[in-house]
Amino acid sequence: MPTVTFLPSYRKITVDAGSTVLDAIQRAQIQMNVVCGGQGKCGKCVVFIKNGSVEFDREKFGRFFTAEELAQGACLACEAVIGDDLHVLIPESSLIQQQKILMESLGIETVFSPSVWKYYVELSPPTLEDPSPDLTRLVWGIQKQGGPLAEKMYAPLDVLRWMPRVLRDSGWRVTATLALVPGGFRIIDLEKGDTRSEIYGVAIDLGTTTVVAYIRSLADGRIVGIASNYNRQISCGEDILSRVNYARKNGLPKLQALAAESINLAITTAANGAGIDREDIYEVVVAGNTIMTHILLGIDPAYMIEEPYVPVVRRYLTTAAPRLGIEVAQDASVFIFPAVSDFIGGDIIADVLASGMGEKDEISLLVDIGTNFEVVLGNREWMFSCAGAAGPALEGGEVLFGMRANPGAIERISIDPITLEPEFQTINSVKPVGICGSGLIDLLADLLRACVVDRTGRINTGIIHPRVRQGDHFPEYVIAWKTETGNNKDIVITENDIKNLIMSKASILAACITLMKQAGITRNELSAIYFSGAFGNYINKENAIMIGLIPEVAIDHIRNIGNGAVEGANMALINRKKRKTLDEIAKNIAYIELNAEPSFMDEYTGSSFLPHTDLALFPRVEKMLDECRLKKIPVGVP
Amino acid sequence: MSENSPDSSGKIGYVVLGATKAEGGTRTVSFRLGGESDLPFIGMNTGQGSIPLVAFEICDDPEYWSPIVTSYTGDLSNDAREWAGVAEKQYGADIIRLYLTSTKRRGFDNFSSITTVMEEVLSGTGLPLVVEGSNEPAIDSDVFQRCGEAGEGERLLLGTAEAGRYRSVAAAALAYHHSVLAQSPIDINLAKQLNILLREIGVKADHIMIDPYTGTLGYGFEYSYSVMERIRSAALKGDTDLAMPMITSATDSLSVKEVREADPAALEDIAVEWEFYAALSSAIAGSSVVCVRHPKTVPLLKSAFRELWAGKMPGEA
Amino acid sequence: MALKALDIYKLLPKKNCKECGDPTCLTFAMKLASGKGDLEKCPYLDPGAKNILGASTRPPIQLVKIGVGERRFAVGEEFVLFRHEKTFYHPPGIMFEVSDLWSGKEIEAVTRRVGSEHYVRVGTDLTFSGVAIRNESGDPDQFAEAVGVVEATGTHVPEVLMAHDPAVQEAGLKKCGNFRPLIYSATIDSYKPLCALAKKFGSPLVVSAKDLLSLGELTKLCNAEGINDLLLDLSFPSLREYIPAATEVRQKSILRSAPELGYPVFLDTTRYPMQDAALILGIDKYAGVIVTRALSPASSVAALTLRQNIYTDPQKPIQMNPGIYPVGNPGKESPVLLTVNFSLTYFTVQGYLESSRVPCYMFIVDTEGLSVLTAVAAGKLNEALVRDSIKKFDLEHLVSHRRLIIPGYASPLSGKIEEETGWKVLVGPRDAAEIGDYLAKEWKS
Ligand code: SF4
Ligand code: FES
Repeated sequence: MPTVTFLPSYRKITVDAGSTVLDAIQRAQIQMNVVCGGQGKCGKCVVFIKNGSVEFDREKFGRFFTAEELAQGACLACEAVIGDDLHVLIPESSLIQQQKILMESLGIETVFSPSVWKYYVELSPPTLEDPSPDLTRLVWGIQKQGGPLAEKMYAPLDVLRWMPRVLRDSGWRVTATLALVPGGFRIIDLEKGDTRSEIYGVAIDLGTTTVVAYIRSLADGRIVGIASNYNRQISCGEDILSRVNYARKNGLPKLQALAAESINLAITTAANGAGIDREDIYEVVVAGNTIMTHILLGIDPAYMIEEPYVPVVRRYLTTAAPRLGIEVAQDASVFIFPAVSDFIGGDIIADVLASGMGEKDEISLLVDIGTNFEVVLGNREWMFSCAGAAGPALEGGEVLFGMRANPGAIERISIDPITLEPEFQTINSVKPVGICGSGLIDLLADLLRACVVDRTGRINTGIIHPRVRQGDHFPEYVIAWKTETGNNKDIVITENDIKNLIMSKASILAACITLMKQAGITRNELSAIYFSGAFGNYINKENAIMIGLIPEVAIDHIRNIGNGAVEGANMALINRKKRKTLDEIAKNIAYIELNAEPSFMDEYTGSSFLPHTDLALFPRVEKMLDECRLKKIPVGVP
Repeated sequence: MSENSPDSSGKIGYVVLGATKAEGGTRTVSFRLGGESDLPFIGMNTGQGSIPLVAFEICDDPEYWSPIVTSYTGDLSNDAREWAGVAEKQYGADIIRLYLTSTKRRGFDNFSSITTVMEEVLSGTGLPLVVEGSNEPAIDSDVFQRCGEAGEGERLLLGTAEAGRYRSVAAAALAYHHSVLAQSPIDINLAKQLNILLREIGVKADHIMIDPYTGTLGYGFEYSYSVMERIRSAALKGDTDLAMPMITSATDSLSVKEVREADPAALEDIAVEWEFYAALSSAIAGSSVVCVRHPKTVPLLKSAFRELWAGKMPGEA
Repeated sequence: MALKALDIYKLLPKKNCKECGDPTCLTFAMKLASGKGDLEKCPYLDPGAKNILGASTRPPIQLVKIGVGERRFAVGEEFVLFRHEKTFYHPPGIMFEVSDLWSGKEIEAVTRRVGSEHYVRVGTDLTFSGVAIRNESGDPDQFAEAVGVVEATGTHVPEVLMAHDPAVQEAGLKKCGNFRPLIYSATIDSYKPLCALAKKFGSPLVVSAKDLLSLGELTKLCNAEGINDLLLDLSFPSLREYIPAATEVRQKSILRSAPELGYPVFLDTTRYPMQDAALILGIDKYAGVIVTRALSPASSVAALTLRQNIYTDPQKPIQMNPGIYPVGNPGKESPVLLTVNFSLTYFTVQGYLESSRVPCYMFIVDTEGLSVLTAVAAGKLNEALVRDSIKKFDLEHLVSHRRLIIPGYASPLSGKIEEETGWKVLVGPRDAAEIGDYLAKEWKS
């Protein structure tokens, strides 16, 4: 069996001949960027073969590399087949890096009303005169402390098993943990002494890419710890479809385990940070998209991606943590958000909950952007929703120098309309290596303002300027010269990148407009637009409107709710009454299948323009663009 | 309520094709198209609009032309000057549409020949001209420059501008005061987008004609028909970015299977009917100029339009 | 125009009781708005709301059936002014004219032609609709005889009996009255006896008058006689009047502002010098029944194709038959381009391929008429389909290479197709217009 040695770490691993380098990397538990799930399409899994050789189709994949890189042995890990011993250099840029994740809280007030409590009781030991059983003694004690009625409480077998010991060892001074369950209260834990302050719950956003955990004290509701990490399923494919495909090929148990592992990791990090014991976490609330929750529950999601797209469960669910492999208190339960449809999952219900739009009379629009996007329109009485694939462009995929919000990503940029010189800011203020979603939106808006691109996103090659040039395949604009970058390459945006970006934004805008038309609502009737999703908070609102990512409304009507999923989960964690409304919300939201909507394609072509073909929908943008154009000499006149 | 009830505010703008001596050109007629504020063939007796016109299509290199036409015309099609004259005098066309098919040859670079062809056709006919320039983006700029220059003062309609390729043709049109034929692939949004793009580089609305692209009968005609109706309705509802007159040409009429594979004895009839049905329906859907390639289709369309038209005729005040 | 889902929702009981079979009132409202729901399914709807909703879903134009049996057709029941607003449902019947002055042979020949002539286009059989028997002799017996000749062919095609004299009509109806022929036509002078005949034989009736106003009056009179299956004769003296009149009828009836005009339109093209032009007008603009002289072979195909075009559902794309279509004269080394069976995609790509002058094969797979973009999104275009289609159409023997060009929008599938088929996949351009360029630059056999 060939041995692969990874540089620079010199980690070694043996694999079967015929495996790919990516297989080896994953077996070695190195977290590699595999955006396309190892299909040879994203070009992100770059490695350099230093010693030995692999089978790799240089002709087919040559487009991902410069000649110089090829000469240094560059190849795609997922496409390189191992025959013999190897040394493989994994460049930093191919590794998954710590992502900047939104953790600010919404600051919405909600009633504190948890569903687990601790009661400290001091009992009198049994005597011949008072021979009542341990349990009776305990529940009566709890009732006397202001707890629920004694007959409403019961204890599961495992608690009964250790009850006599704990009572006697503690000298009859114990803390019992009670959980509200249908029909009564369950004693889920019994500890020696007074541990009333050690009661915690955790709210989880189980995203396709990241997992976020908030630990809160259930004694007073305050946040004690926050942590986040990548969803470890990424090693089985970047997007949701590749996960489902992976599950189909008997991969469901592995995906389930990885989901639990990712959650455990986030919980542990947060718990360690706060100096608390995971055993003191008595409740877990999880909001995630429908596929993620199916996988976490170990339910086959395959039928959801085929017509007629049916999920297996749609109501909210409660189950015991150990059954899902979530490592918290033994008897803790896991509450899982309900879903509307295959595409509108618990994460979106959580968004709606967090935004409060379901409690208002005014109409609002909620847009959750990731690789997939979801849109909800409505108010207290009614809600419409739809979902679609935005394509990865807004997350930096399908864009030559696109990247996630990692260090070195250009996150803000502006272009001087006269000199065409850019000014930008990168994450962690290091030399730029690429550009992330919020930067791309800024960039496109300013290229339009500066008339470098027309409204279809085509670059005006008639402009004579060193930054506007014909690239290898497409015209391009140079954002940063190789001397100023962190990867020794000119960072550019090509006409093709822009096309992909416009396709992404067009699907989102078209979805918004389709819903509004279905409901017969004009943009003037929108009281608010809520942005949710990982990068919502970093978007420049003005520029988002400028390029027509969302309908034009007054800037102060746009609210970022940040990570709405985790906010919603938090609310449900500390206020159990909110949980009841979740099924209501889920029921109230009517789902509109965009593919079945004949007008959607029309809206899409209409939206594939900057900002939109119907300029009357964007009056403010039009005024601004007119002003910009006045400053320029008309182009095209000889 | 109907989406497009005619009680609407919009009006199709005017575009002038051709320039007579008095107007600074050498054409014997010029046409002012547009002006309708109602659906096609409806507002005509209130003085709106003008009767649809028939353009006959010729080319400067018949190798790229349908054999159905070239076998009918014989040698005539080898001489664009003559052909244009015959189209005017014998076929009775209102407009000549010249395709510079010679530019299709691989590696074409004989740009001075374009000037020659243009001069010949302009001398061969007194009718207004539509000129279709190059098929290759790389030579667009040279070709349109020549066309525009040779036709200076004649108020040509220069084609074809598309969303990805409009700058050269617009530049030539702006420089020599011609109009632009704006073609988009059977989609109202794309048609509108192109008009916006043209406007933003300085082409005025009264110098644009919309070509919504016409799939011929049985081959996407239903889409073209509806897009034309939609464009017209939108214009009548006040969308000024779509309120330009339309020009259509079901170019594929002579090459579709029904025609190509017809029994030789019936081939000509079928070709003519195929063009006639598509062209008349296009006019009904709102096209101001319909283009055809078979000489026998021209008089048919002309008399059909006369039979349907109750408004003023070109030239009438 | 139909109400929006939200407007309908506001009229519903909002009980969310599921009894209509929908999870919520809102989803039920969405169904109603798209014309798919049945109002009756909600038991709690109050009568007022039911009235409003019912009125907006009742067809504004009367449905009229002509003929019986297999060749029977129906016209009317249209909802929109333009096909893109929804669709046109009932294509006009094209009826070939015969005269009772003709010999029996001549009448028989035309009838038989209508009975058997058909063209197959994109999987549909296109036929003419029936025969119009015109009384020119003025003689009831001769008319009855002509009707008899038509009947005797046994073709069972629907008929129009064109005789203004009630006595002549009756003679004709006696021969074929059981078969719901269309009676042409009642005027202000003859409507009473003709309505009586229409009633007796259960036939639909055309009404003729000098303008729309008088037509409307006449339909009301006929209604009073108990006749509701009516057609409006818009064959005014000049063809110029047709489009304005037909458009006005359609507009007013769908707006329900003139219910007396809510009937299908009848057009006799034989009275105009340019019959083809009149026929085109009738097809494009709202006619329900069109009478023409028997068409030349060339006009026949064109007319039937136009009718098919105008009456296809704009929301349901026409499909091509999947298979391999050569462009130019391709050989073993020629490129193979995969695309979908949405007819417009096919025709667009084919057009650009032809102009590229590179001989090649178009490899059309069955995506149920979805365009590339939607087929990829909906999972209809997938690697298994490509694999099966390669087998089915024997692509492996057609060409000696193993390279497949797929549309740019299908690029996400390239890897999977390669894996599944073993063919090398080349990703073509997204825009069909760039295909010529692409082939010139990228294809080296
Ligand atoms: S039956 Fe009526 S009230 Fe009940 S859910 Fe359906 S629409 Fe609503
Ligand atoms: S190219 Fe290897 S993972 Fe995408």
